[in-house]
Amino acid sequence: MAIEVVMPKLGATMEEGTIVSWLVPVGGVVEEGDPLAEIQTDKIVMEIEAETTGVLLKVVSEAGETVKVHDVIAYMGDEGESVEGLKSVPTITSEMPEVDGNQTATKEMVEAISIANGDKIRRTPAARKLAEEHHLNLREITGTGSLGRIHKADVEQYLQQHTTRITPLAKKIADDQRIDYNQINGTGSHGKIRKEDLVSTPTVNKKVTDVANKRVPFKGMRKVIADRISESAYSAPHVTLISEIDMTNCVALRQDLLPVIEKVEGLRVSFNEILLKATAFTLKQNPSINISLDDKEIIYHSTINIGMAVAVPDGLVVPVLRDVDTKGLATLTSEAKSIGKKAREGKLSPDDMQGSTFTVSNLGMYAVDGFTPIINSPNAAILGVGRIQKKAVVVNDELAIRSMMSLSLSFDHRIIDGAPAAAFLTDLKDVLENPFKLMI
Amino acid sequence: MREITYLEAIRESMSQEMRTDNDVFIMGEDIGIYGGAFGLTNGMIEEFGPERVRNTPISEAAISGCAVGAAMTGMRPILEIQFSDFVMIAMDNIVNQAAKMRYMFGGKAKVPVVIRLPGGSGAGFAAQHSQSLEAWMAHVPGLKVVQPSNAYDAKGLMKAAIKDDNPVLFYEHKLLYNVKGEVPEENYEIPLGQADIKREGTDITIVATAIMVNRALEAAEELEKEGIHVEVIDPRTLVPLDTETILQSVKKTSRVLVVYEAVKRGGYGAEIASMIAESDVFDYLDAPIRRLGGVATPIPYNPELEKAAVPQVNDIVQECRKLMNK
Repeated sequence: MAIEVVMPKLGATMEEGTIVSWLVPVGGVVEEGDPLAEIQTDKIVMEIEAETTGVLLKVVSEAGETVKVHDVIAYMGDEGESVEGLKSVPTITSEMPEVDGNQTATKEMVEAISIANGDKIRRTPAARKLAEEHHLNLREITGTGSLGRIHKADVEQYLQQHTTRITPLAKKIADDQRIDYNQINGTGSHGKIRKEDLVSTPTVNKKVTDVANKRVPFKGMRKVIADRISESAYSAPHVTLISEIDMTNCVALRQDLLPVIEKVEGLRVSFNEILLKATAFTLKQNPSINISLDDKEIIYHSTINIGMAVAVPDGLVVPVLRDVDTKGLATLTSEAKSIGKKAREGKLSPDDMQGSTFTVSNLGMYAVDGFTPIINSPNAAILGVGRIQKKAVVVNDELAIRSMMSLSLSFDHRIIDGAPAAAFLTDLKDVLENPFKLMI
Repeated sequence: MREITYLEAIRESMSQEMRTDNDVFIMGEDIGIYGGAFGLTNGMIEEFGPERVRNTPISEAAISGCAVGAAMTGMRPILEIQFSDFVMIAMDNIVNQAAKMRYMFGGKAKVPVVIRLPGGSGAGFAAQHSQSLEAWMAHVPGLKVVQPSNAYDAKGLMKAAIKDDNPVLFYEHKLLYNVKGEVPEENYEIPLGQADIKREGTDITIVATAIMVNRALEAAEELEKEGIHVEVIDPRTLVPLDTETILQSVKKTSRVLVVYEAVKRGGYGAEIASMIAESDVFDYLDAPIRRLGGVATPIPYNPELEKAAVPQVNDIVQECRKLMNK
């Protein structure tokens, strides 16, 4: 059954189009999405794509003819199909509309015609065969042979460089609109990306007005972070518990420890290390929090390895401190500072980022009172740390000025229930408010 | 294994067949006491006598007519044409009689004749004694054409040629006569129509005949140093032609060079190239099919010019490099 190919409506005001050239000879085989013809509207030359795979049976309107929108310009179908009885549609007999003074349009027009009238592509049989197997358009491949002949090796190289398959028209739109089509799943034959696939991407319909708009490919570290955060957020039901901690004693403790640790390590101990120490101490008391979920089992970890979220340019990494419960504050200060530096310098090894059993995300250096962190999978919980602020609070029924800090514990409700999580947070609060307990 | 020359291998094969089959006999100019122009039949008259080693007048028309007649009556003659160039005098008997007899008599007559033809250039024999005109014969339906490139093949193919019930043109290359090779003493046969892979490779297939096989092998050694792995195929018989072996090789390497000594224009290499081009292997070609053949000139007497008239090792090397560089 022959299928009509009609003059497409390429713009809201388009009423007719002119056929610049047919890119496929009558009887030629085309694949869905292959360029079929070039159409000129009042402004530009556009390629129209074959909507199905088949043979160009008959051309109704030859190059140079002007046709109304939606009128039949050709028929496609199966090889050998009869073209008898396929009606020819009268075309508008008018001069070719003049190309306006728009330089790019003129240039495009010239290019289009030169390609259409240009030499046949020189390629070896082996190159043609390989290109057909991968449904490649040989026009996109640069030949290195004599007179530009495309050899098998050229096709192989092209294949190495272009893993994504996209129709020429879709590629042009994507390039114009600066769309990274590597992330788009094509719906064409063999997963080829077609124009429609781009249109379903919301950004396509946005008119690019600001050429200076910075556009960064969504890939690399950003993509990894995005994937892992989404996976955690969507697969682990999060519950966040929040508790206000009186850090007055910890502030005093730090003041006392500063010169001591500086003497040993040459480094200044920060609340971050005190928090890590207290968290490890509390995790040891609450082993049901120091767990993770595998596909089939819940793993209770024998070691306490705490991931420490570190902001780096353009992203976030979580290096891991090991056996935190066994280490003193001096050691922790040195380790936390050096791994933090390593992270910011981008020198972390994969090993440095593996094996955490719990994570601490500290935003205390910012004007953040508290927040609900997302669990760093495969951990079962994460501790979010806000800033320490002096506040008026009630102590022993009297107003007092105390250094207060908000802690939030997000946990995976699939494997941790509210009560044990609350118990952990309560224990942690207790240790931080009475830091001498860390001596035990 | 024992090594003998190409010339000795052909003599040995004929002698072994003559010992086992009384219908086989040889004839030609000065092949008796003198042992033939190249000494190939030395000693055969002593063993088989003048009845079976027949000296003939200097008339290729007479020799060939006699041989074809003898073959039709049930004998299995092997006739030596002193230089393959002289076969033109015998052309009517070979092309108009021998090649067509079996067909025109509805299979009731057979013509089991072997015509030995020393051909090729390189020995300073000049224009009338140095040609390679095997393509003329390959063009005629009813004739088989054999072109051995080494002693082992020559012996086995000669046996198959003698046993064949059709006229076989057995082209021997003068320059190969003294080339030694390993040849078993026992009598063995190499079927006509069976090509041989003389060297395995992955980048280029060279299809070469006669002395060009040896030159192609030398060129392949040199190209190997440059990382170009050449496969060398010797069809051994032009008619019947083993297309399968050639096509399988081309499918593997995707490039072909056909090398032959005869004038490139209209030579048998063109047939091989065309056969490849119109086969299903076409899709595997990654370069044009190239031919390397002789220059369209009578073979010069001047040794330097004689060399220049036909492909040498270096020409093959250059051509392969061109093929690899597209």
